[in-house]
Amino acid sequence: MGPRPAGLAFRRALVVLLSAMSRTTTTNSRFAEIESHRGYLVRYALSQLRDQQLAEEAVQEALLAALEGIGGFDGRSTLRTWLTSILRFKVIDLQRRMVAERANVAIDDERLVEDHEAWLDEMFDETGHWRTPPQSWNDPEAALEQRRFWEAFEMCLAGLPSTASRVFFKREVLGEDTPVICKDEGITSSNCWVILHRARIALRICLERNWFGREAAHGR
Amino acid sequence: MAAEDDVNCRKASRLLSVACERPLEAKELQALKKHLDKCLMCRNFEAQLRFLHKASEMFRNGG
Repeated sequence: MGPRPAGLAFRRALVVLLSAMSRTTTTNSRFAEIESHRGYLVRYALSQLRDQQLAEEAVQEALLAALEGIGGFDGRSTLRTWLTSILRFKVIDLQRRMVAERANVAIDDERLVEDHEAWLDEMFDETGHWRTPPQSWNDPEAALEQRRFWEAFEMCLAGLPSTASRVFFKREVLGEDTPVICKDEGITSSNCWVILHRARIALRICLERNWFGREAAHGR
Repeated sequence: MAAEDDVNCRKASRLLSVACERPLEAKELQALKKHLDKCLMCRNFEAQLRFLHKASEMFRNGG
């Protein structure tokens, strides 16, 4: 199968989902609600699979499975948690299929960390001072209540280099332990810390540029 | 005071990030605190790390 535009598989799955839902008591608002989790689900799949197309496929399969089992969703967990638990099984399936392939994709650990160190060098001047000094963010708690903030958050996460994005997602979003993450990624702990250091600084810069630095634009 | 005890912003930011992964040693903690006392930018960074942590947790549960 040739390359497909990103998101196509997901949209196709949603069309199936929507048509099935309209035959049941489920409403369009439920469809929109499920669609709003798309970014998160793809990011989750990417953190586990490292491949955009496979990640999209896993999300598609998970949504089809969710459709079949929508009656089993009792609202005790959040919809996102429920969708993620279904996606997890799909991801594990795909990972099993990938094992042989992955053995051939050795990661150049040293070079990877050199890149991150070089990036960090750029963030500070010769005397070790911030080139882009962290500002005091005005009322960050209020941001957490706004849908558009989460769009900015997702965008910033997606904008990180793939390893940094994956490691940060596993560490901070999924709350996995660093030693487990490092082992899965095949890198040492200290290299893991360098990557997380970079991810945190890059995210803070991105959010300051795209959200906290533009508060006037949000009418606050 | 030995020069190696002096922490600049780059080193402080690294220690603040590492502190999310493991407890800092007494010596590291002391050097970091000394820097934070006099550096508003790194205190801002510290607050931002706490925010990133909280936001990430919320992101997992639906934003």
